[in-house]
Amino acid sequence: MKPEERPKVAFFDFAGCEGDQLQIANLEEKILDLLNIVEVVSFREVMTEHSDDYDVAFIEGSITDTHNEERLKEIRENAEVLVAIGACATIGGINSIRNVQNFEKVQDRVYGDKRDHYEAWEKAKPAKAVVEVDYEVHGCPIDRDEFLHVVQSLVMGREPHIPDHPVCVECKLNENVCAFERDEFCVGPVTRAGCDSCCVNEGTICWGCRGMIDNPNEEAHEEVLEEYGLTVEEVIKKFDLYFAWQKEVREDE
Amino acid sequence: MKVIKKEDLDDFVDELIAKDEREVVGVKSKDSKYVFDKLGKAEELELEYDVTILPPKKYFMPQRETLVEYETREGIEMKAVNEVVPRIIIGIHPYDLESIKQMDKVFADSPEDGNYLEKREKSILIGVNMQQFSEWSFAGSMGTATIEDGYDLMLTDLGDRYAVEIGSSKGRELLEEGSLKIRDAEPEEIEEVEKIEENIQDEFEKELDFSPRNLPWLLAEEYGDEDFWEENAEDCYSCGTCNIVCPTCYCFDVQDFNDISLEEGERMRQWDGCMLEAFAEVAGGENFREERAERYRHRFMRKGRYLYNRFGDIACVGCGRCASQCVPDIADPTNIFNKLWSDKDE
Ligand code: SF4
Ligand code: SF4
Ligand code: SF4
Ligand code: SF4
Ligand code: SF4
Repeated sequence: MKPEERPKVAFFDFAGCEGDQLQIANLEEKILDLLNIVEVVSFREVMTEHSDDYDVAFIEGSITDTHNEERLKEIRENAEVLVAIGACATIGGINSIRNVQNFEKVQDRVYGDKRDHYEAWEKAKPAKAVVEVDYEVHGCPIDRDEFLHVVQSLVMGREPHIPDHPVCVECKLNENVCAFERDEFCVGPVTRAGCDSCCVNEGTICWGCRGMIDNPNEEAHEEVLEEYGLTVEEVIKKFDLYFAWQKEVREDE
Repeated sequence: MKVIKKEDLDDFVDELIAKDEREVVGVKSKDSKYVFDKLGKAEELELEYDVTILPPKKYFMPQRETLVEYETREGIEMKAVNEVVPRIIIGIHPYDLESIKQMDKVFADSPEDGNYLEKREKSILIGVNMQQFSEWSFAGSMGTATIEDGYDLMLTDLGDRYAVEIGSSKGRELLEEGSLKIRDAEPEEIEEVEKIEENIQDEFEKELDFSPRNLPWLLAEEYGDEDFWEENAEDCYSCGTCNIVCPTCYCFDVQDFNDISLEEGERMRQWDGCMLEAFAEVAGGENFREERAERYRHRFMRKGRYLYNRFGDIACVGCGRCASQCVPDIADPTNIFNKLWSDKDE
């Protein structure tokens, strides 16, 4: 691709830990390949310059107040393509735990006695709750290879391959001993694959950071977890680490 | 039939690991379960095991495999790829040997699948008669608890020795390799093996209440009982586990992955399964098995009817892997088949 043909891309962060941008900054030798196909005009993690002339906007973090909302809408206006990266931006992420907690307590904990200075929403939202999102890179944090795959797909105008089946598929391909056979519990059966079941490969469980698949069987999973001995509160907690926003939307439908 | 002392078999395996150019793989423990994996030394081999998480099929059709590499620098250049690692596979149970016989037919059917066939051709299969039994297995009902052929060598534990049955010239050649201390089996030893094989038939906790020969008819008969399938599929996650762990599931999905350079890429295949929601989706987004219950029913139809009609085999070998690894515990074929059998007159 000729240098002047490369789409201009910019990164923006909202409420998140910037862990995803860090993943990108740490692409190492692949960063050069990336720069062959896109031109980065704004990326706080690695450069001080900033430009509002961009084609593709990458959004990290969730939307938690009106100021955020307006800023995101402006970015959407400017950008031809908008990509949400990381669980906070795709599904509300860890931030959305507070969606199911007592809001005043959350404010107290986060802002202490300064809480009245902040006009934060009661619920954290993903980018797609506010604007149209063209592509999503799931995960907390995102997977570098999947990020590159999405970028090259969008540059070539193709649909990226993002699985819509549960993590169990990859977990079984990797021949792991299932968490349920180790007296542990796991939300892999309702979580979107694509991470190569990396957490279970390391001997732990899936916490659901890639969000639920499009058509999860949550009722069954709640029943199953209860059958395996979890209490209702524990079941809800399991699900709400990452799924709070998605669950609410599904309940409203 | 031949006989070899256990310690001599160990030496033989160690010698193969050290000298044979083929990769030596066998059953090893993984946490509380078992898997087929590369052997570093004979000691790691566990010939007393119940069942492995995945069947040995993964050696002929890997979970993920590159089929084609392409370059687009000057026009499109494609190169077919088949990464064949010749292997000696030790410790295959009879039901898995039966499934390999079935898969050999499927992949040799036109169009022939060279990637499978070549890997299969370059493998040596060493079977072992079962000594432990998964509580989910019903191989006894499926006629797969023991097997007459389909192996290159077949071992039976006789305490301090193994009986070795030779199943092919490949197997015989392997025995001639190296400094193997082996002798002919004596009549009492042959009788002992026969006794063991007879007793194995009764070791299974699960069973089918009828002859599996009835399955194609039964499934055709009960296909239309929508309520039955819906009820039983209610807790299904569509997670595909029951497909992926099954030795007779062979579906795959093919996708192109471009390198970030945009100048080269790979066409990969990965195991797929009919329980997954996107499986029956065709271009344009239409899905002809959209409902969980339809997919759930389809798997049983495949195992008990469709493959029989095409290749003459009941494509369930009774290993019990699907049943034991399904988290909501709804995949057990004996449960479904027996229920259908007892419902059939209603
Ligand atoms: S998705 Fe995870 S890694 Fe990304 S910003 Fe949110 S918390 Fe950080
Ligand atoms: S460990 Fe979790 S992701 Fe893996 S198979 Fe079990 S339930 Fe599925
Ligand atoms: S296994 Fe689960 S928690 Fe871990 S990366 Fe994958 S989706 Fe996230
Ligand atoms: S039957 Fe069980 S293993 Fe199979 S797809 Fe459904 S939940 Fe998964
Ligand atoms: S259907 Fe289940 S029991 Fe039958 S061969 Fe497949 S995994 Fe084994």
